[in-house]
Amino acid sequence: MPWDVIFFYTIAAICLFTGLLVVVSESPVHSAIFLVLCFVNVAGIFVMQGAEFLAVLQIIVYSGAVLVLLLFVLMLIDPDKLPSFYTARPLQRYVSLLIGLVLLLEVGAAIITRPAIEAIGPDTPEAIAAVGGNVQAIGRIIFTDYALALEMTSLVLTVGVVGAVVLGLPERLGEKARESRSTISLGHPRGSSDILGPGPRFETPIDVPAGRTTAPQGPRKVVMAKSPDDYTRAGEISR
Amino acid sequence: MSEITVNHFLFLSAALFIIGMMGVLTRRNVLVIFMCVEMMVAAASITLVAFAQETHTINGQAFVLFALAVAAAEAAVGLAIIIALARRGTAPDINQMQELRD
Repeated sequence: MPWDVIFFYTIAAICLFTGLLVVVSESPVHSAIFLVLCFVNVAGIFVMQGAEFLAVLQIIVYSGAVLVLLLFVLMLIDPDKLPSFYTARPLQRYVSLLIGLVLLLEVGAAIITRPAIEAIGPDTPEAIAAVGGNVQAIGRIIFTDYALALEMTSLVLTVGVVGAVVLGLPERLGEKARESRSTISLGHPRGSSDILGPGPRFETPIDVPAGRTTAPQGPRKVVMAKSPDDYTRAGEISR
Repeated sequence: MSEITVNHFLFLSAALFIIGMMGVLTRRNVLVIFMCVEMMVAAASITLVAFAQETHTINGQAFVLFALAVAAAEAAVGLAIIIALARRGTAPDINQMQELRD
Protein backbone atom coordinates (compact mmCIF):
# COMPACT_ATOMS: atom_id res chain seq x y z
CA MET A 1 0.00 0.00 0.00
CA PRO A 2 1.51 3.32 -1.00
CA TRP A 3 2.13 5.98 1.55
CA ASP A 4 -0.40 8.48 0.29
CA VAL A 5 -3.19 5.94 0.71
CA ILE A 6 -2.12 5.27 4.28
CA PHE A 7 -1.96 9.00 4.96
CA PHE A 8 -5.36 9.58 3.42
CA TYR A 9 -7.09 6.92 5.47
CA THR A 10 -5.37 8.04 8.66
CA ILE A 11 -6.27 11.68 8.16
CA ALA A 12 -9.82 10.89 7.07
CA ALA A 13 -10.38 8.61 10.04
CA ILE A 14 -9.10 11.22 12.51
CA CYS A 15 -11.15 13.90 10.78
CA LEU A 16 -14.39 11.95 10.94
CA PHE A 17 -13.76 10.72 14.47
CA THR A 18 -13.10 14.20 15.83
CA GLY A 19 -16.06 15.50 13.86
CA LEU A 20 -18.23 12.90 15.56
CA LEU A 21 -16.78 13.88 18.94
CA VAL A 22 -17.72 17.51 18.28
CA VAL A 23 -21.32 16.40 18.01
CA VAL A 24 -21.44 13.92 20.88
CA SER A 25 -19.19 15.48 23.50
CA GLU A 26 -21.02 16.91 26.45
CA SER A 27 -19.04 20.07 27.11
CA PRO A 28 -18.95 22.82 24.47
CA VAL A 29 -15.28 23.47 25.29
CA HIS A 30 -14.45 19.89 24.37
CA SER A 31 -16.46 20.33 21.19
CA ALA A 32 -14.42 23.39 20.28
CA ILE A 33 -11.12 21.61 20.85
CA PHE A 34 -12.19 18.62 18.80
CA LEU A 35 -13.28 21.02 16.11
CA VAL A 36 -9.75 22.44 16.01
CA LEU A 37 -8.43 18.91 15.50
CA CYS A 38 -11.00 18.28 12.79
CA PHE A 39 -10.05 21.46 10.95
CA VAL A 40 -6.34 20.68 11.12
CA ASN A 41 -7.12 17.34 9.50
CA VAL A 42 -9.25 19.07 6.87
CA ALA A 43 -6.19 21.20 6.15
CA GLY A 44 -4.22 17.98 5.75
CA ILE A 45 -6.81 16.79 3.23
CA PHE A 46 -6.38 20.06 1.35
CA VAL A 47 -2.64 19.47 1.19
CA MET A 48 -3.29 16.02 -0.25
CA GLN A 49 -5.51 17.60 -2.90
CA GLY A 50 -2.81 20.03 -3.92
CA ALA A 51 -4.42 23.12 -2.39
CA GLU A 52 -1.64 24.25 -0.08
CA PHE A 53 -2.81 27.84 0.10
CA LEU A 54 -6.26 26.80 1.27
CA ALA A 55 -4.73 24.47 3.83
CA VAL A 56 -2.74 27.31 5.37
CA LEU A 57 -5.79 29.56 5.22
CA GLN A 58 -7.93 26.90 6.87
CA ILE A 59 -5.56 26.69 9.81
CA ILE A 60 -5.10 30.45 10.13
CA VAL A 61 -8.74 31.48 9.70
CA TYR A 62 -10.58 28.60 11.31
CA SER A 63 -8.29 27.08 13.87
CA GLY A 64 -6.66 30.42 14.58
CA ALA A 65 -9.33 33.07 14.45
CA VAL A 66 -12.83 31.61 14.46
CA LEU A 67 -12.21 28.98 17.10
CA VAL A 68 -10.46 31.43 19.42
CA LEU A 69 -13.43 33.79 19.00
CA LEU A 70 -15.74 30.90 19.76
CA LEU A 71 -13.83 29.99 22.91
CA PHE A 72 -13.95 33.62 24.06
CA VAL A 73 -17.72 33.69 23.61
CA LEU A 74 -17.94 30.38 25.41
CA MET A 75 -16.12 31.85 28.38
CA LEU A 76 -18.37 34.91 28.45
CA ILE A 77 -21.53 32.85 28.76
CA ASP A 78 -22.77 31.72 32.12
CA PRO A 79 -22.11 27.97 32.25
CA ASP A 80 -25.17 27.38 34.42
CA LYS A 81 -27.37 28.62 31.63
CA LEU A 82 -26.01 26.23 29.03
CA PRO A 83 -28.67 23.80 27.95
CA SER A 84 -28.46 20.13 28.64
CA PHE A 85 -27.01 17.85 26.05
CA TYR A 86 -29.75 16.60 23.82
CA THR A 87 -33.18 17.62 22.79
CA ALA A 88 -35.94 16.62 25.12
CA ARG A 89 -37.12 13.62 23.13
CA PRO A 90 -34.59 10.79 22.84
CA LEU A 91 -36.49 9.54 19.82
CA GLN A 92 -35.01 12.38 17.82
CA ARG A 93 -31.53 11.00 18.40
CA TYR A 94 -32.29 7.64 16.84
CA VAL A 95 -34.34 9.14 14.05
CA SER A 96 -31.52 11.51 13.24
CA LEU A 97 -29.01 8.65 13.24
CA LEU A 98 -31.24 6.72 10.85
CA ILE A 99 -31.75 9.71 8.59
CA GLY A 100 -28.02 10.38 8.58
CA LEU A 101 -27.19 6.82 7.55
CA VAL A 102 -29.84 6.85 4.83
CA LEU A 103 -28.52 10.16 3.53
CA LEU A 104 -24.97 8.83 3.56
CA LEU A 105 -26.08 5.79 1.58
CA GLU A 106 -27.88 7.96 -0.93
CA VAL A 107 -24.96 10.29 -1.41
CA GLY A 108 -22.59 7.33 -1.56
CA ALA A 109 -24.66 5.72 -4.31
CA ALA A 110 -24.67 9.00 -6.18
CA ILE A 111 -20.89 9.29 -5.86
CA ILE A 112 -20.27 5.73 -7.03
CA THR A 113 -22.59 5.91 -10.03
CA ARG A 114 -21.66 9.38 -11.18
CA PRO A 115 -20.10 9.69 -14.63
CA ALA A 116 -16.47 10.65 -14.69
CA ILE A 117 -15.79 14.25 -15.58
CA GLU A 118 -13.25 14.88 -18.25
CA ALA A 119 -10.35 17.03 -17.25
CA ILE A 120 -11.32 20.14 -19.14
CA GLY A 121 -9.41 22.89 -17.43
CA PRO A 122 -6.09 24.40 -18.35
CA ASP A 123 -4.72 24.23 -14.81
CA THR A 124 -2.98 20.90 -14.87
CA PRO A 125 -0.42 20.28 -12.14
CA GLU A 126 2.29 21.03 -14.69
CA ALA A 127 0.68 24.39 -15.58
CA ILE A 128 0.38 25.30 -11.93
CA ALA A 129 4.00 24.37 -11.37
CA ALA A 130 4.97 26.47 -14.39
CA VAL A 131 3.19 29.51 -12.91
CA GLY A 132 5.16 29.07 -9.72
CA GLY A 133 2.84 27.10 -7.47
CA ASN A 134 -0.59 26.94 -5.98
CA VAL A 135 -0.48 30.36 -4.31
CA GLN A 136 0.57 32.10 -7.52
CA ALA A 137 -2.11 30.34 -9.53
CA ILE A 138 -4.87 31.30 -7.09
CA GLY A 139 -3.55 34.84 -6.94
CA ARG A 140 -3.65 35.12 -10.70
CA ILE A 141 -7.23 33.92 -10.96
CA ILE A 142 -8.72 35.91 -8.10
CA PHE A 143 -7.14 39.15 -9.28
CA THR A 144 -8.21 38.72 -12.89
CA ASP A 145 -11.36 36.64 -13.36
CA TYR A 146 -12.72 37.09 -9.86
CA ALA A 147 -11.62 40.66 -9.15
CA LEU A 148 -15.21 41.85 -8.71
CA ALA A 149 -16.02 38.93 -6.43
CA LEU A 150 -12.93 39.77 -4.40
CA GLU A 151 -14.13 43.34 -3.96
CA MET A 152 -17.56 42.07 -2.94
CA THR A 153 -15.90 39.80 -0.40
CA SER A 154 -14.18 42.76 1.15
CA LEU A 155 -17.56 44.50 1.30
CA VAL A 156 -19.09 41.46 2.98
CA LEU A 157 -16.31 41.41 5.55
CA THR A 158 -16.74 45.11 6.24
CA VAL A 159 -20.48 44.75 6.69
CA GLY A 160 -19.88 41.75 8.91
CA VAL A 161 -17.52 43.70 11.15
CA VAL A 162 -19.93 46.65 11.36
CA GLY A 163 -22.79 44.29 12.13
CA ALA A 164 -20.79 42.56 14.85
CA VAL A 165 -19.92 45.90 16.44
CA VAL A 166 -23.53 47.10 16.31
CA LEU A 167 -24.79 43.85 17.80
CA GLY A 168 -22.11 43.88 20.44
CA LEU A 169 -22.88 47.38 21.64
CA PRO A 170 -24.58 47.59 25.00
CA GLU A 171 -28.21 48.52 24.66
CA ARG A 172 -27.73 52.03 25.93
CA LEU A 173 -29.96 53.65 23.37
CA GLY A 174 -32.65 51.10 23.99
CA GLU A 175 -32.46 51.64 27.74
CA LYS A 176 -32.86 55.36 27.32
CA ALA A 177 -35.90 54.86 25.17
CA ARG A 178 -37.42 52.50 27.71
CA GLU A 179 -36.69 54.95 30.53
CA SER A 180 -38.41 57.80 28.75
CA ARG A 181 -41.31 55.57 27.90
CA SER A 182 -41.76 54.55 31.49
CA THR A 183 -41.90 58.09 32.81
CA ILE A 184 -45.32 59.43 33.31
CA SER A 185 -46.64 62.16 31.06
CA LEU A 186 -43.92 62.84 28.59
CA GLY A 187 -46.02 65.54 26.99
CA HIS A 188 -46.13 67.51 30.16
CA PRO A 189 -43.35 70.09 30.29
CA ARG A 190 -42.64 69.60 33.98
CA GLY A 191 -42.45 65.90 33.58
CA SER A 192 -40.29 66.02 30.53
CA SER A 193 -37.87 68.80 31.38
CA ASP A 194 -35.72 66.88 33.81
CA ILE A 195 -35.55 63.83 31.55
CA LEU A 196 -34.83 65.38 28.25
CA GLY A 197 -32.16 67.63 29.69
CA PRO A 198 -31.42 70.88 27.92
CA GLY A 199 -34.36 71.94 25.87
CA PRO A 200 -37.24 74.32 25.94
CA ARG A 201 -38.07 75.12 29.53
CA PHE A 202 -41.40 76.49 30.48
CA GLU A 203 -41.33 79.27 32.98
CA THR A 204 -44.92 79.10 34.07
CA PRO A 205 -46.54 75.87 35.08
CA ILE A 206 -49.56 75.04 33.09
CA ASP A 207 -52.92 75.26 34.66
CA VAL A 208 -54.16 71.74 34.76
CA PRO A 209 -57.71 71.16 35.88
CA ALA A 210 -58.00 69.70 39.33
CA GLY A 211 -58.81 66.04 39.44
CA ARG A 212 -56.96 65.18 36.27
CA THR A 213 -53.50 65.31 37.79
CA THR A 214 -51.98 65.23 41.18
CA ALA A 215 -49.29 67.46 42.53
CA PRO A 216 -45.75 66.11 42.33
CA GLN A 217 -44.49 64.48 45.47
CA GLY A 218 -40.95 63.60 46.32
CA PRO A 219 -37.76 64.88 44.69
CA ARG A 220 -38.76 64.02 41.17
CA LYS A 221 -41.41 66.05 39.48
CA VAL A 222 -43.89 63.50 38.36
CA VAL A 223 -47.27 64.28 36.94
CA MET A 224 -49.76 61.53 37.21
CA ALA A 225 -52.18 61.02 34.41
CA LYS A 226 -55.23 59.02 35.12
CA SER A 227 -56.42 58.11 31.67
CA PRO A 228 -54.62 57.67 28.38
CA ASP A 229 -56.32 60.81 27.02
CA ASP A 230 -54.44 62.93 29.50
CA TYR A 231 -51.17 62.36 27.70
CA THR A 232 -52.42 63.78 24.46
CA ARG A 233 -54.28 66.61 26.08
CA ALA A 234 -51.26 67.62 28.09
CA GLY A 235 -49.29 67.60 24.89
CA GLU A 236 -51.79 69.90 23.28
CA ILE A 237 -51.59 72.29 26.19
CA SER A 238 -47.81 72.45 26.11
CA ARG A 239 -47.84 73.17 22.42
CA MET B 1 -7.89 0.75 -2.64
CA SER B 2 -4.40 1.26 -3.89
CA GLU B 3 -4.96 4.71 -5.28
CA ILE B 4 -6.65 7.81 -3.93
CA THR B 5 -9.25 9.06 -6.37
CA VAL B 6 -11.61 12.00 -6.25
CA ASN B 7 -14.39 9.71 -5.00
CA HIS B 8 -12.49 9.11 -1.79
CA PHE B 9 -12.51 12.83 -1.06
CA LEU B 10 -16.19 13.04 -1.99
CA PHE B 11 -17.05 10.25 0.44
CA LEU B 12 -15.09 11.92 3.21
CA SER B 13 -16.78 15.21 2.50
CA ALA B 14 -20.26 13.65 2.48
CA ALA B 15 -19.62 11.88 5.77
CA LEU B 16 -18.30 15.04 7.41
CA PHE B 17 -21.21 17.07 6.09
CA ILE B 18 -23.77 14.59 7.39
CA ILE B 19 -22.09 14.44 10.80
CA GLY B 20 -22.30 18.22 10.96
CA MET B 21 -25.91 18.19 9.83
CA MET B 22 -26.86 15.68 12.50
CA GLY B 23 -25.16 17.92 15.04
CA VAL B 24 -27.19 20.90 13.88
CA LEU B 25 -30.39 18.89 14.09
CA THR B 26 -29.85 17.21 17.46
CA ARG B 27 -27.90 19.57 19.66
CA ARG B 28 -29.55 22.32 21.67
CA ASN B 29 -26.55 24.48 22.49
CA VAL B 30 -26.34 27.31 19.99
CA LEU B 31 -22.55 27.38 20.13
CA VAL B 32 -22.26 23.69 19.27
CA ILE B 33 -24.74 24.20 16.44
CA PHE B 34 -22.49 26.99 15.24
CA MET B 35 -19.44 24.69 15.31
CA CYS B 36 -21.34 22.08 13.35
CA VAL B 37 -22.23 24.65 10.71
CA GLU B 38 -18.53 25.48 10.38
CA MET B 39 -17.83 21.78 9.97
CA MET B 40 -20.39 21.60 7.16
CA VAL B 41 -18.69 24.54 5.44
CA ALA B 42 -15.36 22.71 5.66
CA ALA B 43 -16.93 19.58 4.17
CA ALA B 44 -18.34 21.56 1.25
CA SER B 45 -14.89 23.07 0.74
CA ILE B 46 -13.39 19.59 0.42
CA THR B 47 -15.91 18.80 -2.32
CA LEU B 48 -15.11 21.98 -4.20
CA VAL B 49 -11.38 21.34 -4.07
CA ALA B 50 -11.90 17.73 -5.11
CA PHE B 51 -13.81 18.72 -8.22
CA ALA B 52 -11.29 21.43 -8.98
CA GLN B 53 -8.62 18.78 -8.84
CA GLU B 54 -10.61 16.45 -11.09
CA THR B 55 -11.41 19.01 -13.79
CA HIS B 56 -7.96 20.60 -13.68
CA THR B 57 -9.36 24.03 -13.00
CA ILE B 58 -8.34 26.23 -10.12
CA ASN B 59 -11.70 28.06 -9.96
CA GLY B 60 -12.95 25.69 -7.28
CA GLN B 61 -10.12 26.73 -5.00
CA ALA B 62 -11.01 30.39 -5.58
CA PHE B 63 -14.61 29.57 -4.61
CA VAL B 64 -13.37 28.01 -1.38
CA LEU B 65 -11.43 31.19 -0.70
CA PHE B 66 -14.59 33.29 -1.00
CA ALA B 67 -16.62 30.80 1.03
CA LEU B 68 -13.98 31.03 3.74
CA ALA B 69 -14.29 34.83 3.84
CA VAL B 70 -18.09 34.65 4.02
CA ALA B 71 -17.87 32.03 6.75
CA ALA B 72 -15.54 34.28 8.75
CA ALA B 73 -17.99 37.20 8.46
CA GLU B 74 -20.81 34.87 9.43
CA ALA B 75 -18.85 33.73 12.47
CA ALA B 76 -18.34 37.32 13.64
CA VAL B 77 -22.02 38.23 13.26
CA GLY B 78 -23.30 34.97 14.71
CA LEU B 79 -21.13 35.19 17.79
CA ALA B 80 -22.13 38.84 18.26
CA ILE B 81 -25.77 37.74 18.19
CA ILE B 82 -25.04 35.09 20.82
CA ILE B 83 -23.29 37.69 22.99
CA ALA B 84 -26.20 40.12 22.60
CA LEU B 85 -28.62 37.37 23.57
CA ALA B 86 -26.52 36.41 26.58
CA ARG B 87 -26.49 40.03 27.70
CA ARG B 88 -30.26 40.11 27.56
CA GLY B 89 -30.38 37.06 29.78
CA THR B 90 -31.50 34.54 27.19
CA ALA B 91 -29.86 31.17 27.60
CA PRO B 92 -27.94 29.92 24.54
CA ASP B 93 -30.58 27.28 24.05
CA ILE B 94 -32.16 26.78 20.67
CA ASN B 95 -35.48 25.86 22.23
CA GLN B 96 -35.70 29.15 24.09
CA MET B 97 -34.76 31.40 21.19
CA GLN B 98 -38.17 31.82 19.66
CA GLU B 99 -38.95 35.47 20.12
CA LEU B 100 -38.95 36.08 16.39
CA ARG B 101 -41.49 33.32 15.96
CA ASP B 102 -43.86 34.54 18.65
